Amino acid sequence: MMTFSDETVLAYVDGELDDATRAALELAMATDSDLAEHVARERRLRARLHSEFDPVLAEPIPEQLLAAAKGTSAKARSDYIIWLKRIPARHWSWPQWSAVAASLILGVLIAPLLRHEPTGEPLGIRDGEILASGALAHALSEQLASNQAAEAPVHVGVSFLSRNGDYCRTFTLRDKSAVAGLACREGESWRLAALAATGPATSASGEYKPAASSLPPVVEGSVDELIVGDPLDAKAEAAARGNGWRR
Amino acid sequence: MSPSDLSAELVTLLPRLRRFARALTRNPHDADDLVQLALERALARAHQLRPDAALAGWVFGILRHAWIDELRARARRERVFAPEESGQNVGDAGQGAQVERLSVHDAMARLPQDQCLAVALVLIEGLSYKEAAQVMGVPLGTLTSRLARAREALQAMLGES
Repeated sequence: MMTFSDETVLAYVDGELDDATRAALELAMATDSDLAEHVARERRLRARLHSEFDPVLAEPIPEQLLAAAKGTSAKARSDYIIWLKRIPARHWSWPQWSAVAASLILGVLIAPLLRHEPTGEPLGIRDGEILASGALAHALSEQLASNQAAEAPVHVGVSFLSRNGDYCRTFTLRDKSAVAGLACREGESWRLAALAATGPATSASGEYKPAASSLPPVVEGSVDELIVGDPLDAKAEAAARGNGWRR
Repeated sequence: MSPSDLSAELVTLLPRLRRFARALTRNPHDADDLVQLALERALARAHQLRPDAALAGWVFGILRHAWIDELRARARRERVFAPEESGQNVGDAGQGAQVERLSVHDAMARLPQDQCLAVALVLIEGLSYKEAAQVMGVPLGTLTSRLARAREALQAMLGES
């Protein structure tokens, strides 16, 4: 009796055999009950997987996904997101400013945080860049993620070395502004690389996502794009602070 | 392919993308978030799509990358928020261990990611070995051995071994 390897049996079930081998295997199945049972078992597994996941195909597609496929969902998402890294840093023209101002974020989210004069506000503008200031700048420079008070107004998340060779740190503001962001060291300042609301963020399916345990996707995305290697561990974080966040 | 042609193709592909994402993640909301991210990335990278390439495989590959990014980000968050989340994870594992027969979805979630992807692409989405190996960026032999190990593990978890 002809024998077939497990690999050949699986390839048969997956429709990957050439005609001759398939015919030989089907012929053998007629007399080899072990072989026939092996094939049947693999087919049952396929059937179980399909009965588990195929019902998804018949579900109505969420509007938000249809909009995403058509490329029309950017506005809905950007209402609460500002992609600072996409905006040329130094020479913002008026159209750019008004485009940003027109989005919900600057009016509702950023404006209360933003001052042109150095004050206690967490963000400031200098030479067209948005920089951390006040308590936020202080926390970014001094606070260690490994050792911070639960009630601290700024919660520092991960610190890492970026592709640009500077240190970057994620943060969450725990006051009523409810924003989280990513700031990267530039000289003696912390330049904002991403900023997003942690408040009314919703998932594609409209489900509310509590902000406490995760950063907004746009901030996570910026981390993913900038990070080189792993985040700093507690020891490396303390060492970087000791060196004034300079390489 | 023009942007509107690509969009039309993506809309056609949406049910399968949702099924694929559902097979990778445990949570339907996470799955749809993943699909949305993949769609946005696909449209942003439309210029990278070769005219002769199979669109489904290309988008599945983008979704796979988005999923790997998400898993990395989760691992990072778990490190940062370890005190809160480690307790939950322990509870989950304990409950799961008491269940004798797992649901298909639970069993899938317990596979190593590479094996889970292989099953989702070949057994659920019906890609050929060659297409699936391309999506995963591995040689054909690597794909078939992952598939064989995944099937063995699934059969064992589902009480069919």
